[in-house]
Amino acid sequence: MNTTEIPLKDPAVSAAAGDTEQLERAYIDASTRVPVLMFYTSAIAWLIVGTVLAMLVSFKLHSPDLLGDISFLTWGRLRPAHMNVMVYGWASMAGMGTAVWLMARLCRTTLRFPLLLVAGGAFWNLGVLIGVGAILLGDSTGFQWLEFPRYVAVILFVAYTLMASWAVLMFRHRRGQQIYITQWYLLGAFLWFPWLYAAGQLMLFVVPVQGVLQSAVTWWYANNLLFLWFGAIALGTAYYMIPKVIGRPVYSYHLATIGFWTYALFSSWTGMTRLVDGPFPAWMITASIAATILTMIPVATVGLNHHLTMQGYFPLLRYSPTLRFTVFGAMSYTIFSVIGVLISLRSVASYVDFTEVSVAYSHLGLYAFFTMTIFGSMYYIVPRLVGREWRYGSLIKLHFWASAYGIGLMTLMLLAGGFLQGANLENPTLPFSESIETVLPYLRGRSVAGILMTVANFIFAYHFGLMLLGLGRTSTVPTFLNPVEAETSGGH
Amino acid sequence: MDYGEQSDVQQVHAAVQREKREPRVGAEPLSIWLIAVYGLAIFFGGAYLGRYSGNFTSGGLDPMGSPPAPKKAVAGGPAGGEQAELSPRDRGKKIFAANCQTCHQANGLGVPGQYPPLAGSEFTIGGSRRPAMIVLKGLQGPVTVKGQQYGTAVMQPWDKTLTDQKIADVLTYERSEWGNNATPVTAEQIAALRKELASRAESFTEHDILAVPDEELPGAPAPAAGAAPKPGEAAKPPAPPKP
Amino acid sequence: MKGLTPLFLGIFGTFAFSWIGLTVIPTWQIGHLNPESDEEGTDIYPRPQSGMFERGEHVYAANGCVYCHSQQVRADYIADDIERKWGNRRSAPRDYIFDRPVFLGNMRMGQDLANIGARAPAQEESPSPAGAASPAAQGAAVSSPPPSQATSPASSPAAAPVASPGTSPASAASPNASAPPGQRTGVASPSPGQMANATPGGSSPAAPSAQTPGAPWPIQTAGLPPMYSAAWHHVHLYAPRSINPDSNMPSYRFLYEKRRIGGQRSAEALQLSSSDAPPEGWEVVPTYDAKCVVAYLMGLNQSHPLKEVRSVGGAPPTGTAPAPAAPGASPAPATGGSPAAPK
Repeated sequence: MNTTEIPLKDPAVSAAAGDTEQLERAYIDASTRVPVLMFYTSAIAWLIVGTVLAMLVSFKLHSPDLLGDISFLTWGRLRPAHMNVMVYGWASMAGMGTAVWLMARLCRTTLRFPLLLVAGGAFWNLGVLIGVGAILLGDSTGFQWLEFPRYVAVILFVAYTLMASWAVLMFRHRRGQQIYITQWYLLGAFLWFPWLYAAGQLMLFVVPVQGVLQSAVTWWYANNLLFLWFGAIALGTAYYMIPKVIGRPVYSYHLATIGFWTYALFSSWTGMTRLVDGPFPAWMITASIAATILTMIPVATVGLNHHLTMQGYFPLLRYSPTLRFTVFGAMSYTIFSVIGVLISLRSVASYVDFTEVSVAYSHLGLYAFFTMTIFGSMYYIVPRLVGREWRYGSLIKLHFWASAYGIGLMTLMLLAGGFLQGANLENPTLPFSESIETVLPYLRGRSVAGILMTVANFIFAYHFGLMLLGLGRTSTVPTFLNPVEAETSGGH
Repeated sequence: MDYGEQSDVQQVHAAVQREKREPRVGAEPLSIWLIAVYGLAIFFGGAYLGRYSGNFTSGGLDPMGSPPAPKKAVAGGPAGGEQAELSPRDRGKKIFAANCQTCHQANGLGVPGQYPPLAGSEFTIGGSRRPAMIVLKGLQGPVTVKGQQYGTAVMQPWDKTLTDQKIADVLTYERSEWGNNATPVTAEQIAALRKELASRAESFTEHDILAVPDEELPGAPAPAAGAAPKPGEAAKPPAPPKP
Repeated sequence: MKGLTPLFLGIFGTFAFSWIGLTVIPTWQIGHLNPESDEEGTDIYPRPQSGMFERGEHVYAANGCVYCHSQQVRADYIADDIERKWGNRRSAPRDYIFDRPVFLGNMRMGQDLANIGARAPAQEESPSPAGAASPAAQGAAVSSPPPSQATSPASSPAAAPVASPGTSPASAASPNASAPPGQRTGVASPSPGQMANATPGGSSPAAPSAQTPGAPWPIQTAGLPPMYSAAWHHVHLYAPRSINPDSNMPSYRFLYEKRRIGGQRSAEALQLSSSDAPPEGWEVVPTYDAKCVVAYLMGLNQSHPLKEVRSVGGAPPTGTAPAPAAPGASPAPATGGSPAAPK
């Protein structure tokens, strides 16, 4: 499609209406500036910390004597530290930043008392800081994805209440009749997270469940966090960014509705697929596997919806960073879900259980799907908050390709290595050490991929820092990934 | 940094200006192929759920309802399962390992500061009354054994969990193990003591135990060949009956 | 959607549905299990652990062992965990009712540990001060063999030293004592506890599973304590690569102390090989945390049969004559006079 045919403005909107709308958006953006930028800054700081931890974790797995013998750098503590920094530090803060901005825009209300959000963000940062310190110093709870000690959970709850009640309040005061798709997902996310976190804390620490149910609750929590908190924010973001950037409506309301409800219904049951063949009543595990099969419904629906929305506009991927990152994320959602189904079927699970494949799955969900989508949203939102455009298109490009290749290579390495590891584990004539021998070269490959992702994240952090310092480009034209031939630019 | 200092909002927010409308939703109908995909997913998901749920029971650990026939022949069952006659000491040893070992350790040495030892302990090898009281009703608070203080752990009462015979057996074992050499204890003695202490609800403290004379429980078994060692003596040749 | 109410109800409903289905209903079903016991009430399984075992659980959690080690045995028709001698039956929910936190784990960069305590040698070899297992110490009964062992004196080929623990001078400083004093705490079930080493205790500790295909870690370096004994665990934690050079397990030296030998070499001192051994006149001893975590490991034992799960009657992976490890049998040597388990 010829770039000159990309519409600039919807011709149906009159100039007057357009101006009012624009003014409204400008005021909304101004009101969200401080809290959202604060969230993004914290998130990126945690991203850097988490990336450094990730490199240590990855390298220590195949070079175990690297920085060995130091208690707070032992692998068993670095790994949960990395995970928690990424989950609660980077992903949650960035997700909330984007969600707050999106809610404000979609509810068409300015954000009142933004400093309360800032206070909430500060508490959240404090909680994550204390939590990570506690893990490194040996106070981890031992429950995966919930390693923060109990006192940190209290801090996080207080912080979350400060932050989310504001988002929900905005929703309460919204203007306009329709509730847009993104708002469903974001409202869901803001409500699901505290319920999830509360349920997890209650059932594991306050009124602890007995025995293996602790594991069931842990993985119920972890998978639901992935889908109902992170996944919902990412899908909501994609539903805003894609139609917004290309200027076309989303393809079908019906698809969107079915997609949302089936997503909520089925994704929330998938927790036990991490415990296939474990000491549980078989129905629990089978229910999760069946639910994973049924998540093909929302995956197909959402995928189709996005695809048909984008139809004819794929060439725009050449120019718009937001679109590129978001579409990458949306496609990754499909791939991530399909892989999820394949590895949870019992016949496959007996091979891939206990291998690196589950690490690949987690990273596909949190990085390829969630993080890339959020990167896309940050590329869109930040210029609107700082009043400048991104300074270097080349850095954005580098960020994208390093991330894409990084996560792609990592997934490949871990899937392949994991499958081979599993095959060796299933062969009782081979000693156990054989399975480790087999997977080690793939772990080294994963470290290489990790280097790529580290480069990508550091570049992004630097670029964001420039924007924060007001060193972006002053221009009316957005930063494109590639120069646009025609002088009427499409996109942002 | 000049975040929006200018009054002309429109000039500053060029990005906002060139933005397209907020997103809207179209209303295209569902494609029939998509509905077919839904049907397939529901079918396979449902079939999987029905087939592999182990009858939805709590004990159904096996997906198909019961474990399939074993891959290898199960090795022959226990050879006869003979119920060899066990001596009280042997029975006591089993009971000790099942109930006491976690704290008092298999070597009877306990853990310094936490769990007192039984080997050479004045409470264990003295008269049978004191150790029987401790086992029946438990012990709380600090206690000094062999000159060392132990205070951090609490010993639970065993009167509800162990029968008279079992308590007698485990005491017999403790009093003849690890170099200990004291008289065995019978179930009748424990039964009588249990009656005596029936009204007591809480566990003893060291004070309570020391307040009681360090004597044998009434009804001690007649000593076997060789004099029964006096309370406190551990060096005499072994007296307790051996199997 | 136009209305907030249906949206909110739907959001709440889908969450409640999953919460009830995957956590509440299973709690009704398996959330209040009691231990199984026989009629006499002695053979209760599982039993709540206390003392060093409990603290060991915390050390295990704090150092993230669960991220590499699982603790669940899968059924034999699903996977080959049992063929690998990681258990003689699959794990059941009842095995974990007293564990807090539960370390089912979902990674196996290291072996499954559900039965690591059961794979310990039946008799603890005493680490002689010289650091090498002396022949005299080989058969020596030390403080905590399983009860069934000691009650079958006639059947044990390891002659005289197989006596009740009482005969060895029960003092911590004695070289005949097992390495860390509290190491055998938390042996959950008495007689059936020795799944792997049901043979008469005197069998050579060297690589009990070296000859069996599929057995874990077939490397038993000379001079090391017998595999899976407490002393072995300490060496493994301190210097994993001295046991298996290709291991990628981190070394946990911060759980150990290097100190000067005062007078006599401590009974707890680790037997380390040349490259990891401390210089002359120094010894490495475990801290209390290390002892606790090893006590915890030694107490991990799911070999006790359960009514709801079929035990696979496999021969234990020792070189000597297999004892029947079928359900209900205490794995004492099947000779006359051995206490068959009254199940």
